[in-house]
Amino acid sequence: MNLTLDHIQKSFGDKEVLKDISFSAESGKAFGLLGRNGAGKTTTIRILMNVFPANAGTVFLDGRPIDYDHVSFGYLPEERGLYPKKTIIEQLVYLAQLKGLSKKDSVASVDWWLDRLDMSKYRNKRLDTLSKGNQQKIQLITALAHDPQIVILDEPFSGLDPVNAMLLEDVVKEEIAKGKLVLFSSHQMSYIEEFCDSIAIINQGRVAVTGELSAIKHAYIRDKLVVKTSDPQPILQDFGDMCSKSEQGDLLIRMKSPDDKQEVMKHLVENYDIDRVSVFEPSLNDIFVEYAGDSK
Amino acid sequence: MKQFWTIFKFELAGYFKNKIFIGVTVSMVAALVILIFIPNIVSLVKKDSGNHAEETMQDSDNENKSIMLISSEDDELSAMAQPAFASAFSDYQVKTLNEPVETIKQQILDGSAECAFVLDSASSYTYYVNNLSMYDQNASIADMLLEDIYRSSAMAKKGMTQQEISDILNVQIQGRVTALGADQMKNFFYTYIMIFALYMVIIVYGQMIANNVASEKSSRAMEVLVTSAKPNSMMFGKVFASCLAGLFQLTVIFGTALLLYRFNKSSWTGNEIMDSFFNIPPYLLIYMLIFFLLGFLIYAFLYGAVGSTVSKMEDINTSVMPVTMVFLVGFFVVIFAITSGEVDTPLVKVFSYLPFSSPMVMFARICMSTVPIFEIVLSVAILIASVILTGILSAKIYRAGVLMYGNKPSPRQILKVIHKA
Repeated sequence: MNLTLDHIQKSFGDKEVLKDISFSAESGKAFGLLGRNGAGKTTTIRILMNVFPANAGTVFLDGRPIDYDHVSFGYLPEERGLYPKKTIIEQLVYLAQLKGLSKKDSVASVDWWLDRLDMSKYRNKRLDTLSKGNQQKIQLITALAHDPQIVILDEPFSGLDPVNAMLLEDVVKEEIAKGKLVLFSSHQMSYIEEFCDSIAIINQGRVAVTGELSAIKHAYIRDKLVVKTSDPQPILQDFGDMCSKSEQGDLLIRMKSPDDKQEVMKHLVENYDIDRVSVFEPSLNDIFVEYAGDSK
Repeated sequence: MKQFWTIFKFELAGYFKNKIFIGVTVSMVAALVILIFIPNIVSLVKKDSGNHAEETMQDSDNENKSIMLISSEDDELSAMAQPAFASAFSDYQVKTLNEPVETIKQQILDGSAECAFVLDSASSYTYYVNNLSMYDQNASIADMLLEDIYRSSAMAKKGMTQQEISDILNVQIQGRVTALGADQMKNFFYTYIMIFALYMVIIVYGQMIANNVASEKSSRAMEVLVTSAKPNSMMFGKVFASCLAGLFQLTVIFGTALLLYRFNKSSWTGNEIMDSFFNIPPYLLIYMLIFFLLGFLIYAFLYGAVGSTVSKMEDINTSVMPVTMVFLVGFFVVIFAITSGEVDTPLVKVFSYLPFSSPMVMFARICMSTVPIFEIVLSVAILIASVILTGILSAKIYRAGVLMYGNKPSPRQILKVIHKA
């Protein structure tokens, strides 16, 4: 199954929220949707799920315009919340039924998931008696109980302790292994790197970059050197504007062109006290800052 | 459609599991049980205390009563007045006293007598009482008694016999009243009660629906709901579920009342309110049902739509205010019309066609007047069309409103949203 968004545009009143959103995701893989706060991720997801229509552009499923009657979505919204005063089982069964399951299937599926997430003991408790992390696990069930073809998880790991985060990781991996199309949105880059084969970074209503993560990393311009040294002062004086600091605190030198690599390396090793020098490999974080930062 | 039923059942179960809903229904029924059995309870208590106190009562009969004094310089007048006053004021021990006015006043002030009539003649007197109660009828009763005394003594002077005088004074008028249309005297009570029930149900359930929608929004359950169900199913499921819950509650309450009344009818013989209320013609019940359903729906849709535009629960009261105001205007018109008895004035007629007041106003007109059938049909037709229109419109507002967070939208923004949706 292939899900493609093709030049989606959306305005609310005079405010143009989505200017041009295009990306493509495959089932059996996880797709990361990245962007800063207010970049348009949630709006993109809502259009994808037909909460409201786009002003222009089309959502395709396997090459044809998507038919919402014949595709099922599971959605974990970033803004969590269900019915605080109702029991867990009551609301989960209700929401599964809304997704088209029969009452019997809903109960069976919800019970299976409660067991899978180690939540069976809360089955008949009211939602507001649960801790925040446990409420989030309950909400995850609303996204998965009806066995949807497309699973959209918005910040699924926020608020979870390490044990629950691991449990969720396993669940997500299982869903991907079942051949589902999992769409991830998160600010925690480590999770995106762990799960997602492909990503799209949205910046101010446009897709800044999209494609396979490895290809994006590889295409990242290799014009920076990481220099490990105990005395950076002389280098900073000589290279001036070309220097910056990496996340780990190492010295970064941006070259005029990747072709200068050998020359600059040689110059550094010969003239300064250097422990190590290498070409800078970007992390997803760097790519994110590069494409979603203000400068771009 | 499947979604509609799922939502309908879920919302309905929500009402029947709601402790407040159960509590209100049960306490209403309990109150009715007490109300309907009041005559039995009263007579039981009377009989009980009566048995014990009967003997002492007779002895102290006179001592327990307050004293009313009658004073006149004309001894003949005093003699005639005393028995007449004694039988008319059975709550008082009526004594004649021929003393100066100052002495009488003093007796009243020190409490040895409660009040006094100082008669100058049969057509002139002064009534003395310490504190004049708002409900004191003594003077007007005395007027009637003295009129009779004046007339009979005047007639006696003209030489009439006692028999002739009493025949003239005690003439009995044989009157019969037949209302060819609606009898307002008889219909007033049930019209009033049913209008009031309609008012209560619409206001209470309207608020509940608005709260229900707004709380789904403020708890963010809406985020999941909008991606799971169609706004139309949500809106209609909620409104119809609350409609059925309201109808159920009314049926239980009025049904219990009717059953209990049937059971205890003998204790209530001669009570006009009860007679009026429990002998509602069946065709009026059908009208009641039609106007209840349509009136309920039109307001439920409005309240639901308003609820969807609110993102904080604190804002809900100010947001539903305009809807409640519109409703109250209709309510005041109908209450004014039925209490004044003028239900066919041009103003009332206009309101009986306006969809936001017609459920109450047209119903009141049908109850208390004779309304041509085409007028009823026209009013109901306008109402049905308005209900459908309001339903569609409110689903549109709901669709747009549920995802609007932050500041309360202005009416202009809402109109824009409706226009776009």
